[in-house]
Formats: sequence, C-alpha cells, structure tokens
Amino acid sequence: MFEDVAISLKIAVEAGTPILLASLGEIYAERSGVLNLGVEGMMMLGAVVGFATTLTTKNPILGVLLASLVAALLSLVHAFACVSLKANQVVSGLALTMLGVGISGVLGRQFVGSPLPVRVAEASIPGLSDIPLIGKALFSHDPFVYLSYALVVILWFVLYKTKLGIEIRAVGEDPSAADAAGVNVALVQYGCVALGGALAGLGGAYLSVVYTPAWIENMTAGRGWIAIALVIFAMWDPLRAVIGAYLFGGLEALQFRLQQALFFGYRIPVTLLGSLPYIATIAVLVFASSEAVRKRIGAPSALGKPYFREERVF
Amino acid sequence: MSEKAPKRRLLVAAIVLIAILAIGVGYYLWVYAPAAAAAAKIKAGYIYVGPIGDYGWTHAHDQGRKIVDEKYDWLDTVYVESVSEADCPRIIDKLITEENCDVVFTTSFGFMDATIEAGEKYPDKIFFHCSGYKRGANVGTYFAEFYQLYYLNGLMAGALTKTNKVGYVAAHPIPEVIRHINAFAIGVKEVNPDAKVYVVWIHAWYDPTKAREAAEALIADGCDVLAFTEDSPTVIEVCEEYYAKGQPIYAFSHYSPMYSYGPNVTVSGQLVHWEVVYDDILTKIHDGTYTSQNLENVDYWWMLHEGAVELGCDFGMPINPKFEDALKAVTVTDTKTGHGTMSVYDLVMLRLEQMKAQPAHVAKVENGQLVWELGPIEFDPFTGPLYDQDGNLRVADGVRLGHDDLWTMDWFVDNVVGSPTG
Repeated sequence: MFEDVAISLKIAVEAGTPILLASLGEIYAERSGVLNLGVEGMMMLGAVVGFATTLTTKNPILGVLLASLVAALLSLVHAFACVSLKANQVVSGLALTMLGVGISGVLGRQFVGSPLPVRVAEASIPGLSDIPLIGKALFSHDPFVYLSYALVVILWFVLYKTKLGIEIRAVGEDPSAADAAGVNVALVQYGCVALGGALAGLGGAYLSVVYTPAWIENMTAGRGWIAIALVIFAMWDPLRAVIGAYLFGGLEALQFRLQQALFFGYRIPVTLLGSLPYIATIAVLVFASSEAVRKRIGAPSALGKPYFREERVF
Repeated sequence: MSEKAPKRRLLVAAIVLIAILAIGVGYYLWVYAPAAAAAAKIKAGYIYVGPIGDYGWTHAHDQGRKIVDEKYDWLDTVYVESVSEADCPRIIDKLITEENCDVVFTTSFGFMDATIEAGEKYPDKIFFHCSGYKRGANVGTYFAEFYQLYYLNGLMAGALTKTNKVGYVAAHPIPEVIRHINAFAIGVKEVNPDAKVYVVWIHAWYDPTKAREAAEALIADGCDVLAFTEDSPTVIEVCEEYYAKGQPIYAFSHYSPMYSYGPNVTVSGQLVHWEVVYDDILTKIHDGTYTSQNLENVDYWWMLHEGAVELGCDFGMPINPKFEDALKAVTVTDTKTGHGTMSVYDLVMLRLEQMKAQPAHVAKVENGQLVWELGPIEFDPFTGPLYDQDGNLRVADGVRLGHDDLWTMDWFVDNVVGSPTG
C-alpha cells in the first residue's frame, strides 16, 4: 500500500512536469500583463524540435535547448503583435496555437514512429531518495524533473524578492506607473513572453524526449490549455503552480490505474476518468472568472490590455 | 514542259505520302505496340490511414506492397499515406483518374463506406477493403487475423507470470480487440487457471504517451507480463527499462518485429505477412479469376494455415531463445486435444502445428451468399466451455465459435478483469 502510494506520486510528478514548466512560463508572461494563449502551439513546436534534434544529434540536452529557443522565437511573434502593434492578445494567442500545431505537424511527419536512440536516464539523488515515500515520489527522477524544481524556486524568488520581479509585477499591474518610474515596459513584456515561450518549449520537449519518448502529431493533447488554466488555479504564483501541476498530471496518468478499481461495486467509466483534468480546469475557470475573485486572488490588473504610452487614463 | 512531268510529280508525291504514312505507322507501332502487348499490366493503388513510418499497421501494409511490387513485372504500385477518413473519396478519385489505377486497396476500417461508393462510381475498376464487412460486385474484403497468435502468446504468459497478474494495454473496445484479448486470456487460463488478465483501455491505435502510462499503471498494480494492441514499441521499451532496474517484466510484441527494442523481455508476439494476401489477390486479378463483376463473395480471413500471420517477436523466431528454458520447466496436460502431459514450450509448438495444418474457417458460397464455415482444424481457441465475466456459460462444451460470433464479440471471458465496453 505504502509503496503503491509512492509509485502513484512518482507518476503524478512526471506527468505533471510538462504542465508545470509551461505554466511557470505563462505565469511570467501574464504577470507582465501579456496573456499568451499560444502555449499549446509553443509546446507542440518544442516537442517536435526537441525530438527531431535529439534523434539526429543523439544529444537530448541540445534537443531540449533548441526546443526552448525555437519556441521562444515563436512566442516573439506574439510579443511583437501584442506589445509593439498593440493587437488583441486573445486573437494573436489563438493564432499562435494554430500556427504551432500546424508547423509541428508538417515538420514532424517524417519522425512519426521513429524510436529515439538515446534515453535520459533516471538519476536518483543519493540520500534523499532513501527517505520513505518522499524519496521515491520526488527524488527518483530524471534530471529534467530536478531542473523543474530549481526553476520553481528561482522563478518564485525572482518574482517576489528581486527588483526585476517588482518591475515585472508593476508592468502587469499598472504599466503607465511603471513607465513613469523608468521601467522599460516593452522590454519587460518581450522578455517575459520569450521566457514563457522557452519554458513551454521545454515542457513540450520533456514530453517527446524524456517522458514518452516519441513524436506523434498532436502529442501535447491539450496540456498547453491545462497549463493556462493552471496559471489561474495557482493564482499567478510559481509555488502554487507545483501543487496544481502534480494534481492535474496525476489525474491524467492515474486514470489508467483507476480503470481497474471498483467504487462500492461499480466501475468508474473510463471516459469520465479521462475527462477529469478538463472538468477540474473548467471548475477552476468558473471559480476564478468573477471579477471579485480575480481582484482578491491577485490577477494582474493590466492583463490582456495593450499599453499605449501617453494615453489618458480616467 | 513535258507531258510526263505532272505524272512524275504525282508519283513523287505518292511516294512521299506513303513514306510519311509508313514512318507514322512504324512509329506508332514502335511506341504503342509494346504497351498494347502488355495490356495485362496492372497498376494497384494503396490508401493508408497512417504514415508508412509508423511501427505497426501502415508500415506492415507497405512492406506487403513493396514485396509484391518487386516480385511481379506486370505490377506497378503507388500509395498515398496519412489519409483521413474524410479525404478517402478524393484520394480514390485521384488514384483512378490521375494515376490510372486498375485496383485500389483501402487499408482502414473507416474507409469502408467510401470504398463501397467508389465501387459504384467506377464499376469497371476493382477495389479491396481491409477489415470491413461490406462488399460489392467489384469490391472485395480481406483481413489477416491474429487470434491464434494471441492464444499462443497467452499460453506463454500463463507460464511466465509469477504474480498471476497479466496486463493488457488495449486500443479501442471493438470486436477485433476484444476477440484478441479473449484469445490471449483463454491461452493464459489453459496453462494457469489462477491467473487473471487485467485490461486497460487507452482509446487510441497509436499513442506512445498513453501506452506508457497504461503499462506503468498495470506494472504498479502487480502485473509482471504484458501484452498490447498499440502501434508502437512503447510497452516493450517500458518493460526493458524495468528489467534494467532489476524488476523483470515480460512482454509480447505487436504487429511488427519488436525484439530489438527489448531483447531481454520480449517473449514472442504477433507478426503479419500482408504480402501473402496481396500476392493472392493480385495474381488472381492478373489471371482473370477476379474481375470487376465477381467480387461480391470474395472475403479473405487468413491466419496461420494460409501463412498470413506468424508467431514471434522477430521473423523466423517464434519464441525468444532466452525464454525456452523457463517455458520448458512448466508442465501442463493437454486436456483439449488429449496429447498427454508436456512442457508449455512443447504445447505451444503442438498448438502451432495443429493450427497451421488446417484452415480454421472456410469461406463458401451458398445460394449466391458468402457463408463462413468452421474449418477442419484439430484445435481452435474459441471452443467451449467458455464462460463470461458474470459466470454465465456463453459457449457450450465442445461447441466452436464461428466467423460471425467472433466478428461481433462484445463480452470478455471469465478470467479477464476490466470492462469490454471501455
């Protein structure tokens, strides 16, 4: 039983890692006031670039790095449209998703079904992995999971404890005030959107290079959308995103274990189990959509609104 | 001017004219006559649902296409891959009108209605649809069947499991997959009546991510032998990873030779030889046996006897030699055909020979209708008594299930855990 729980937690952490990475990036983009609905597209592009690079160079690190870079470049299209051209962020983000999904499908056609010659091995952390329950659940993973732990802490620290973090939050709350205080609004927003793209690409590459590992068209299968919902679930806080990501990841991976389970003599329908992450996402969106809740949980006030310098504010 | 001049001019003109005509006719004969002589050349078009680089269904069909294409001079082939159900009619039109195909093979269940409609639209062309049940005067059907192989895999799984829990990662809850799971479970039960087969549905034909998660879930629940229906070697790879970690989990490869993905864990598996079916169909079209008028009752359902399928995880390797000793160490008594007590290894070989020796099902035409009759085979896995999960007797002692029962199967035998409705 004990071992069982540990294995379930371990699976939840691994399944949650791509979602966690993508939502960490989206938290930064949204904290700077730019809503990027293109996460799914950027993840998908990251997945195909990461897989193709790893397949041809046999170097997963290079694959993951290139995936982040390419996804960041794609996100700059969104930054250019929304920050420089003040376009509608929802429309631009949706376009980005379609673009990313389409490009990855075309690029990846020749890689469908190719097995990856190199594998990212599991590296248990000596000492820590011997702790009962926690050791197996948290410290018996591949290096990329540890990287995600580090990113959570670093991104949380930067956002709340550094001058840069204050600037990012200020831009997202009130860009004109931040501008008046000498912050380069456009630069901060460009930077945050690019970081969001890089992390979404990293999440996608984790899926295709480490977790599965294989490339299949449409393989992110909605994880990008879950990552966006998770940002609200986490109330724009990198630490809270961890809990949500593992919860959503766990729901997705554990549905296969629950298929065997009987509850009071009844078997839960598989279709219901499969839709649990989406039901949870809708529940969170409904809860977080009211204006009062949004204010209280600290949604960036300027989220989704383009900033026009010198515009009169009433 | 001489009187003769116009005459001579006429003669020259006539000679020139004849020469031009002769060159024209000669050229025509030289260019077109060989084509006319080889009018019996056949062009076959293949429509695939997936990319030929997948590691299962489409790849296997394309291997079959390549083999027959190379074998016969009179045969030309073309293919279109990754065709969606909605695109199928347009691709059929293209193959017939632009590529001038005489025969079109549509290799996915979802192409069934489009194929039937194309058959009506192009009555002088020949169509063959894989895995469907609708036919026409110029539309035949064909399928290579795995249930005998799944049964043989089940015998080995029953002998190898130590936890008495055998896992099955299953694609979609349709009769074909349910039939294969049942055949596998019947094999497990024959060797190990205490073992159960745990089924997890992933609702996809090809999805390595879900296949991995499902395999890990089954292993976490205590399964130590896995079989699957999914078009990637993912389950094998998961088992090989567990083996490397010191927890051996064994597996059976599906559709393609997957031995190289897990040489330490792959016991056996199911392999297909579509070229055997394609060879037969195309030869019969070539020699005039099959025309666009007489395919109404042409249906292939080929198995071990016909050579359309092969037991193993690699061609020519029915059982991974690594597992021979383990399978020889377990003894069982053949209660079904009365050949006495023997090792599981010998039982597998005996059953393989029994099923190869005779056809399991035979197609007959009665009153202009296609009827599948039971073949004169010594042993078939789907022989009663068979009970369902609720303990009801579904097939009486000694009774064999026929084509129609197997193609509409929607219930699990009693040692399967999981829901047949997905």
